[in-house]
Amino acid sequence: MFRHVGKGVTRLDGDEKVRGITQYADDLPIPDCWYGVVVRSPVMKGRLTSLEFDPAFDFDRVCVVTPGDIPGENVVDMMGRDMPFIAHDRIQYRGEPVALVAAPTRRLAREAAACIRPVIEEEPAIQTIREVVDTYKKSPDRLEKLSGQTIRKGSIEAGFADADIVVEREYWSGHQEQLYIEPQGMVAIPEKDGGVFLQGSLQCPYYVGPELVITLGLPLEKIRVKQSAVGGAFGGKEEFPTLVAGYCALLAMKSGKPVKIIYDRHQDILYTTKRHPSWSRQRTGLKKDGTITAMAVDFILDGGAYTTLSPVVLYRGILHTTLGYRCPHVSVDGHVFRTNTFPNGAFRGFGAPQAIWALESHMDECAEALGMSPVAFRRKNCLHIGDTTGTGQVIEQNMDPPVILERTLEKADFENKRRQSTRGVPVNGVYRGIGLCFFGHGSGFTGDGERRLRSKAALDLEYDDHGKPVVNIRISSTEMGQGTLTIMPQIAADGLRTSMDHVRCPLPDTKFVPDSGPTVASRTAMVVGSTVYGAAELLRHDLEVFASETLFGGARVELDDDRFTSAVTGDSRPFIEVAEAFLKIRGPHRVYNQFKLPDTIKWNQETFEGDSYPSYSWGCNIAEVEIDTLTCELKVRRVTGIFDIGRLINPVLAKGQIEGGLTQALGYAVMEKMNIVDGLYDASRMQTYVIPTALDTPEYDLGFLEYPYTHASPGAKGVGEIPMDGLAPAIANAVKDAMGIRFNSIPITPEMIFEAIRAKESAA
Amino acid sequence: MAARGDPGIIVRTFEDIDCAFPSNLSEALALLGDEATRGKLLAGGTDLMVQWESGSVDMPVRAISVKSLPELLVLKIEGAHVSIGAAVTHWDLRAAPVVRDALPSLAAAAATVGGRQIQMMGTIGGSIANASPAGDLAPALLADDASVVVASAARGERVMTMESFLLGYRKIDLQPDELIVRFEVPVRKEGEKEGFRKLGPRAAQAISKIMGNYRGAIAGDGTVTLFRVALGSVAETAVRLHKVEDAVTGQALNDGLIAEAERIASDSIKPISDIRSTADYRKWVGGRLIRGFLEDLKASPSG
Repeated sequence: MFRHVGKGVTRLDGDEKVRGITQYADDLPIPDCWYGVVVRSPVMKGRLTSLEFDPAFDFDRVCVVTPGDIPGENVVDMMGRDMPFIAHDRIQYRGEPVALVAAPTRRLAREAAACIRPVIEEEPAIQTIREVVDTYKKSPDRLEKLSGQTIRKGSIEAGFADADIVVEREYWSGHQEQLYIEPQGMVAIPEKDGGVFLQGSLQCPYYVGPELVITLGLPLEKIRVKQSAVGGAFGGKEEFPTLVAGYCALLAMKSGKPVKIIYDRHQDILYTTKRHPSWSRQRTGLKKDGTITAMAVDFILDGGAYTTLSPVVLYRGILHTTLGYRCPHVSVDGHVFRTNTFPNGAFRGFGAPQAIWALESHMDECAEALGMSPVAFRRKNCLHIGDTTGTGQVIEQNMDPPVILERTLEKADFENKRRQSTRGVPVNGVYRGIGLCFFGHGSGFTGDGERRLRSKAALDLEYDDHGKPVVNIRISSTEMGQGTLTIMPQIAADGLRTSMDHVRCPLPDTKFVPDSGPTVASRTAMVVGSTVYGAAELLRHDLEVFASETLFGGARVELDDDRFTSAVTGDSRPFIEVAEAFLKIRGPHRVYNQFKLPDTIKWNQETFEGDSYPSYSWGCNIAEVEIDTLTCELKVRRVTGIFDIGRLINPVLAKGQIEGGLTQALGYAVMEKMNIVDGLYDASRMQTYVIPTALDTPEYDLGFLEYPYTHASPGAKGVGEIPMDGLAPAIANAVKDAMGIRFNSIPITPEMIFEAIRAKESAA
Repeated sequence: MAARGDPGIIVRTFEDIDCAFPSNLSEALALLGDEATRGKLLAGGTDLMVQWESGSVDMPVRAISVKSLPELLVLKIEGAHVSIGAAVTHWDLRAAPVVRDALPSLAAAAATVGGRQIQMMGTIGGSIANASPAGDLAPALLADDASVVVASAARGERVMTMESFLLGYRKIDLQPDELIVRFEVPVRKEGEKEGFRKLGPRAAQAISKIMGNYRGAIAGDGTVTLFRVALGSVAETAVRLHKVEDAVTGQALNDGLIAEAERIASDSIKPISDIRSTADYRKWVGGRLIRGFLEDLKASPSG
């Protein structure tokens, strides 16, 4: 029974954030702190021959780090080890670091940086996914492949041989910037033992240390990482902070001073990761009755200049290119190719939004080719319990995708509204349409990743700063706006069966917390939440045994509703009294728990066969749109959505996640646009990179259906990413319904709508 | 090759600027009149601070803040026009009853400038002096046939029409020793209607892709007796569309005339492609805005 789980508990960190008390990285009071600046390549690609130092500037006043100063190897130790920390011979993107500078003032650091000039022999560069795909179609060998993976199920030839018709389309999506409120920021403080203490805005404390070991030449235990309050991340602070941490650490180790680097907004947009641009070619075999016989997909991501974690984005992408539909013959070819732009990286959804954008646009195209309604086509093909996915994973009893679809259709009154759509003939100067998208999102790490990750959580019963007993949750999962600091105490208090007053969740510091894995992949509530719940049950057991032996004369005792009670004697003592006695007699106490992936989950990482995720969240979005014929402006009026994210830990926070994610998806679908000009994003300020405001937000009509994760309590699945997945195709499908025109690239802007109408008119 | 430099590194900071805060107009004009004390005029700084910070415009050595000069804060009806001091903020323009009643499309335009913080700092004089073709207020002043009053210590006041004041891309007819004192805008007469429309990349806090204002009137028989219209973001400055005005004025306002006006408007503008939109779309939608204005006028109670 849950007392706290399922309740809309007010955010525990809300008050201090609203009052402006929270200290972010730039607010940390660090005495004698120097400022770091990165000197960057002004060209996209070439050979770095030397650095010119302006003889007029006195470099003795500052600290300069060049590759020769790196104690260990000059390599960023991510999935590919192809990226140097500081370029030493090759330049692969504009903005690549060529030197680091620190000085006692920001101004002096900037002055010094402006006096260091890289000398580069420039070479021709490749900038866009359009260039990549053009080359891929003509001579793919000319591309530089950073990663690749396939999925094979059945025989794709047999599937197409079985088909009455084949529908083939291509779909494109562009860069997207996370645009968290707080820009990237980090401070490195040299420690007396030769180690370094890093504090900053980051999602994954246990990524930073291990990724810096070989660069800094320090053992892992000498790299301490503490999260400061994070003002938004969305994946942008997953792998990227390792770079800023490395710059700060290298400067701090050489100068012996604390060094901080805080990006301004312009630098943050220019020189941090974006969502990977994508191209999908969906080729689908269909029988006349609507049955899908074959799904063949080419899926390409623009990786930017280096590998970083693009392979994992690719894996999640290809695993979602056919997800949700029954099909005996599947063939997916995924590639990440290099372009000479800043390496693309993690962003909410992590490949799935790109894949689902193509898949769900394409499912409408298939329905239309068959003369079926989008609803009838999805009803016919969507996964039911017992069906298998593209990797052969069986949909089990603990989820029911068709129910999500049906309930959303009812909630939105889809079929009735669709009868009123304008279908290419505007009424009173307005096109109106409604569109649907049905989708799943794998919760947790891909395949058996959670087994290899072995996430740990600890609970400490100890004294707080005021000498009162407190239970501190020790996890490396981070609060970045989504509510970790609130849901974890809810879960722990339910595992302990106490009130939430005794439970705290401090910001993680690798000196104190075990590795619960990164805060990514919609895994925190499901994986770490259940690990915390288990740890709380263990602590409750220890306390019950102690109470029985020490305070209840050996009678069996149960902790429930904040009191220890003996059913035998009828005696009862409050939690706090027992906790105080425990601390006085035994001292502080720590319990550990580790996440266990059920043995039934089997995965082949070579062939991509088996259970690709421990569980899935499901969603259905319905978008209602209007296009004004006077201006071609597109307005999304209303979005209906039902989501199965497992057991709701905190319905208010969950709804906040969904509304925020949908609004981010709205921007992806109709607004957020970046072009590369001379190797840099043209929309590089908040003035030019446009995200939705409250006035752009549609009316949201949202609901949840709870099919809990069955392998661990309390049974949450993923919520963080799924709201990002489905809105873009729902909008594109609604625009098609309204105007009779299919858009195969996002964002769909008034300019594109104008061009499409003009093209249609001149063709007619 | 020569390094193009890192757009992220700006060495100078705002603290490096020597900023004067004169307490009245004559003090300000005296500072401006002397090359030794002359500085960049700052009237809120909502455009300049961004340009300086980004490095697109060099930070000046000296600046003169005119935001609090009492002579520049006037906002009242004087005879047939509204006198609007150059330091009147966007927030005052959107909120003041005198502007809302007498110049509703100027109030509507001011309400779309940035967010509240920008509206409370930014001023009409600053916006016009910034002379961006995407400035939100210039089309309203053009459509309302406003005049600009500038002053210098040496030559006193000088009055120009808005149209003659806007010389080109980020160029206005203002001498180094002059500053804008006020705008004089004819009050909307009984039976005159105004309209404003701005198309931006989003519903609020947006710089325009294109925008326009009109003031017009039609007689009981449907004849257009007045039509003044201006568009922004379609040329090097905000522009009056005289050809459209001439084609429409004195004519019966019917569907054929509206279609003709749309075509003339589209033909008479030469917009560019930039980060916010394309030349083709702007050229087309410029005509569409004129259509929208004329349909609005046609539907007005006096029509």
